[in-house]
Amino acid sequence: MIRQLIRFQNMDRRWIFLGMALAIVVPLLAPINFPFKIDERVEAIYEKIESLEAGDTVFISADFDPASRPELEPFYRANLHHFFAKDVKVVIGSLWPFAPPMVNPWLEEIAADHGKVDGEDFVFLGFKDGKELAIKLIADDVVKAFPKDLKERDTATLPIMEGKRQLQDFALMMSVSAGFPGTREYVLQVQGQYNLDMASATTAVSAPDYVPYYKSNQLFGLSGGMPGSAQYEKLVYDKYGNDSGLINARPIATQALNVLNMGHLFIVLLILMGNVAFFLTRNIEEA
Amino acid sequence: MMKTLFRTCILFMSLLSTAATAAPIDNLTIVPPKASSGLNLSLSWTFGEATTSGPEVLGLRLLRRLPSETEWTLVGEPLAPDTTATSDTVPETGTWAYKLVSVYTDTPEIPKPEALSEDASEEEQASFDAEAAQLRTAWVQTVIERSDALGDDSDMATGTTKASWLNTNPGHLLLLALIALVGGLMMVYTRRAQRGEEIYIRRIPGIDAIEEGIGRATEMGKPVLYVPGIDDLQDIQTIASMLILGQVSKTVAEYQSDLIVSCCIPIVREVADEVVKAGYFQAGHPDAYNASNIRFISSEQFAFCAGTNGIMLREKPATNIYFGRFFAESLILAETGFVNRSIQIAGTAEATQLPFFVAACDYTLIGEELFAVSAYLSKDPRLVSSLKASDIVKVLCVAALLLGTVLHSMGNTFLVDLFKISG
Amino acid sequence: MKRTVPLLASFIIGLVMVGEFFIPHHQYRAMTNEFLEWGLILSAGAFLLGLVNLVQVNLPKVQRRDTDWQYKAIMLVALVVTLVIGFAGGTARQQPGYSYKWFFDYVFVPLNATMFALLAFYIASAAFRAFRARNLEATVLLSAAILVMIARVPIGESIPVVGDYLPQLMNWIMDVPNTAARRAIFIGAALGAIATGLRVILGLERSHLGGGES
Repeated sequence: MIRQLIRFQNMDRRWIFLGMALAIVVPLLAPINFPFKIDERVEAIYEKIESLEAGDTVFISADFDPASRPELEPFYRANLHHFFAKDVKVVIGSLWPFAPPMVNPWLEEIAADHGKVDGEDFVFLGFKDGKELAIKLIADDVVKAFPKDLKERDTATLPIMEGKRQLQDFALMMSVSAGFPGTREYVLQVQGQYNLDMASATTAVSAPDYVPYYKSNQLFGLSGGMPGSAQYEKLVYDKYGNDSGLINARPIATQALNVLNMGHLFIVLLILMGNVAFFLTRNIEEA
Repeated sequence: MMKTLFRTCILFMSLLSTAATAAPIDNLTIVPPKASSGLNLSLSWTFGEATTSGPEVLGLRLLRRLPSETEWTLVGEPLAPDTTATSDTVPETGTWAYKLVSVYTDTPEIPKPEALSEDASEEEQASFDAEAAQLRTAWVQTVIERSDALGDDSDMATGTTKASWLNTNPGHLLLLALIALVGGLMMVYTRRAQRGEEIYIRRIPGIDAIEEGIGRATEMGKPVLYVPGIDDLQDIQTIASMLILGQVSKTVAEYQSDLIVSCCIPIVREVADEVVKAGYFQAGHPDAYNASNIRFISSEQFAFCAGTNGIMLREKPATNIYFGRFFAESLILAETGFVNRSIQIAGTAEATQLPFFVAACDYTLIGEELFAVSAYLSKDPRLVSSLKASDIVKVLCVAALLLGTVLHSMGNTFLVDLFKISG
Repeated sequence: MKRTVPLLASFIIGLVMVGEFFIPHHQYRAMTNEFLEWGLILSAGAFLLGLVNLVQVNLPKVQRRDTDWQYKAIMLVALVVTLVIGFAGGTARQQPGYSYKWFFDYVFVPLNATMFALLAFYIASAAFRAFRARNLEATVLLSAAILVMIARVPIGESIPVVGDYLPQLMNWIMDVPNTAARRAIFIGAALGAIATGLRVILGLERSHLGGGES
């Protein structure tokens, strides 16, 4: 028994990988949908967007790549649905080079669902290199930062950009960020200086870093990882979802939460079993 | 006569129906903000007494021109009807004239010319832009006239930009004082150290382990792998990593071991190359320096991670050193190093990655310890003295935090306001 | 001279860039923005050097048929193919129908996602290995980790009796002790960064300058 416990503590990692794989695959095939509550930080994002008027224009900085797609794509999609359902105009830019080819097709797909017109109701400005310098330039002069949009049109002449020169000209700013550069750089460089209404949707790993910004009202809302995306999806799709006919969308994060459930449970059980084995063998070794 | 009567009736009815719910806009004042760049102006105004009912005011619009011009330009977004202040960024320094007008719920949208086709020529684009500007100007004039007729506009007011050479906000001045204090203390302690005074630094096991790790690599005949993070050279953690790399390469050269540096950013690779070369020269082993060991892998995060993992699995370094800014790849690197049974020493100020390094590495340097490594390793009195200086400022910061917490809990926000950085 | 010029440049430009935070004048900002753009241009230029380094390091290994030379050959082929299809596609390369877009959607995205997905497995193995209650601090760490992991997901909220309180406890752990510790790390790291930056600007640290002599 002791030998088995010691072997268990030192087992080949591949058994752990196999267990993790099962914890991921099984819920996908046989989902158990546990209900969940909405966090106040996510609700704050929803309520703020609900308070926007038709015709308002917002700026989204889509700063994520394929690696963080599972956590942030659901939020990004729900966010676009939310804005378009309220007839809010959307201007999107990115600080990550691999974001545009991934993010732009989703934008066009969702805009088409809502019958929105490119250049009038939405525009994708493309990728701007330069990290903090790019952020300062965007905040100071969006048109100078993105002289042409992704489709090589002059940004200044687009109807959606009329009267929009600086970030503070937008009704609010949404940072969908997977890391650096992203939310923190926007907060540190420009949020206070331009007094921007800003919220962030970020990966679960980074979210705790931005809680101080939420607490100090530098961010009016914060969505963290897949749970945050699922909560936001629920709020948006419950109001604007299939029943009202406005959105025909699949709640991706809500479905993926099943995997998160089992994954976390697996790790917790593994840790507990490891500690039980540790205590049993430690006591006997000491004896 | 019928036409005149008709027009009089319309005007009379319009006057009856358009007596405004909004109040006249008074006291439009324009001043440059404190600590201005020279291209900002702050505007504020008040509202007079509201008159009789009329069309509902949708919002306010700000108009701007140079005093010498005649045509007004719309600036910014529509303001809420009860707004009493805003700011504007002007294209050049000087004196600017402003006027506020009201826009009503029945005011039409700004007219636009017929949309251009996507393959329009430059002349067609220019003609489109000119027509759009004309329509816009005409719309602005209509809005001004109506707002003026109903008494819901402001008089023209002027303001002159003023550029500041120093941001005199208390928070900024305090930060300047803090930096000057750190610099001044560094000078003081450097002088003391140069006079022979011993400056104590507590032992940091992670830094001591660097030399042990290099010794282990030499005994096993395996290389040392150094990863300076994945951020650009402008990041302070990468700079700190380069400073540490200088010391590490010197020690590796003295032990006559091999050093592989895996870089994510090309310019970091160039700097690392020079730093390692200098380290080998300083140790007296210039021939041992091998440029092909300083490698640029990929600027893409996970491609870099995969490439570095490949180096670990193929070349099996005995010691892995991770100093710099890391993100999601940190655990993948550390776990692969663990599989190789390498000694792993990590240091980063990236709080999100510290838990992963703590779980997977043998030694982890947290936050500011990363910035102390080069001074600790070199034992140069001038560098050690800078640690002393930053430690003293840290004590002052802690004292300010405690005092601020107590004061704030008692309702006094003096310290909180003092440290506020804005503008 | 070889070291004096870079040291002088570091000092002057370092002071000018520090000054940007305190001097709001638009002309000063225009100057500092120009310096930052120079830095961007240098970084972009260094990409060419990186490309040369990749080929310089790996091509000889392929030619000599060193260990695992096949992987290096694949890497070089991928490098050339990506360059060719990227240039061939021009500015429209991200539009559907272009090879670049195809490579992005069907090669890069899955590979990138796969590497990131490894984290899930590595976290499990690292947590199993590291989270042992060897002493009081380790026990506190372990308990907090388990609590946060369970409370973070809907399954935690569904636990009878305690499920209602777990999210509140988790939020308290994240908002109070966790945030306090992070702030402490931020403040310490910021002060360390100031000291390091000043050491470099004032020329006290010189090892980053490299050079072939002591």
